[in-house]
Amino acid sequence: MDTMRIQVTRTGGLAGHVRRAELDTTERVDAPHVHALAREAVAGGLRAPSYGVPDGYHYAITVDGRTVHCADPKLTESQRELVSLVLREGA
Amino acid sequence: MTAEPTLCAIVPPYVLDRLAEDGHEPAARSLALDAAHRAARLTAALPDRAAAADRLERVISDAAHRERLPGRTVRREGEGAVPDQSVNHAYDGLGATWTLFSAVYSRHSIDDQGLRLDATVHYGQDYDNAFWDGRRMVFGDGDGEVFGDFTACIDVIGHELAHGVTQFTAGLEYRDQPGALNESVSDVFGSLVKQYALLQDAAEADWLIGAGLLAPGVQGVALRSMKEPGTAYDDPRLGKDPQPAHMRDYVRTGQDNGGVHINSGIPNHAFYLLATALGGRSWERAGQIWYDALTGRRLPADADFTAFARATVAAAKARYPEPEVADTVTASWAKVGISPT
Repeated sequence: MDTMRIQVTRTGGLAGHVRRAELDTTERVDAPHVHALAREAVAGGLRAPSYGVPDGYHYAITVDGRTVHCADPKLTESQRELVSLVLREGA
Repeated sequence: MTAEPTLCAIVPPYVLDRLAEDGHEPAARSLALDAAHRAARLTAALPDRAAAADRLERVISDAAHRERLPGRTVRREGEGAVPDQSVNHAYDGLGATWTLFSAVYSRHSIDDQGLRLDATVHYGQDYDNAFWDGRRMVFGDGDGEVFGDFTACIDVIGHELAHGVTQFTAGLEYRDQPGALNESVSDVFGSLVKQYALLQDAAEADWLIGAGLLAPGVQGVALRSMKEPGTAYDDPRLGKDPQPAHMRDYVRTGQDNGGVHINSGIPNHAFYLLATALGGRSWERAGQIWYDALTGRRLPADADFTAFARATVAAAKARYPEPEVADTVTASWAKVGISPT
């Protein structure tokens, strides 16, 4: 696959504030790395959201239409890196 | 800032600034009795019960901007302040919370069994949150653009530890109405920790959660307002504070576990109405009623707002013989659209 569309929605947290961002890997030089990260993140995710810990963030990660869920503080390393990348550099 | 450093250790700078602006000398002096010192004296004054349950024990760790818990231990109970203010704020905030529960509600730490209070600071990179992971409090530094350091607010620290109290007592499920109650109980005791540390009565308190947490330039005063839910912020980056103050505006959503941080505005406002109607120190009667309802072992984990309201009325009747108190509790809930009867 040459490109990926990765969406992250972060909900919950002490403030209860929703943040969404989307990253398209089309023109990224690090696309292979991001694709690998995304595949790992999805593989380690849950199909349904869990209640998580009080005030912890919940993340819905959607990669090319497939959505998985994870919640702080139990993110895998690839989920952490992906979520942080998409929220930081996504639009 | 003109305040003494010992005050800075527990009181957010905005409070000091405001006090300085108001020329509030007596209040400023009372602040010098910072809660950690009071906790230490309280401990020293206790009879020799030799029970660990009566002693405050804190351990602060530093995650060094990684997301690994617990991190490296940087300050243990009884050790002096360190150069890192986040560590000291967390240490003092844990002390202030422990002191409220111990001195006012005779609770031995959050589990009532003398649980050691653990906290981790500097969690993650620019991490915009603080949470209770079931065993410890975890604080991020904030990104500096929307949120500042989450250790800066004593009510936020109280909020997180109160999640622990709820976990060990009513165990309110973290979804929908029981989840919003779980959140609200944390806001209530978080605010009471601050009011107790500042020796404020209900009329003096700001009833804000996370005042001083929003970064400079953000259009808002705090994360939430118990006095006026829905008015804490209105900012292009954060949106508008979505909290309702009345059941007619209850928000049905699939996000945030069913809007636990949104609909908490309703029970928050009921508590504010009760505390201000009763007057005086909120941690005394209003706080005691909420504490009794939470810890009375009769509240189911899936309690909705009405069930909790009933528990508070029952707690008021059990604790205070004069019927006006329970009537005021009922009236406060009625004003937010909940009938406990």
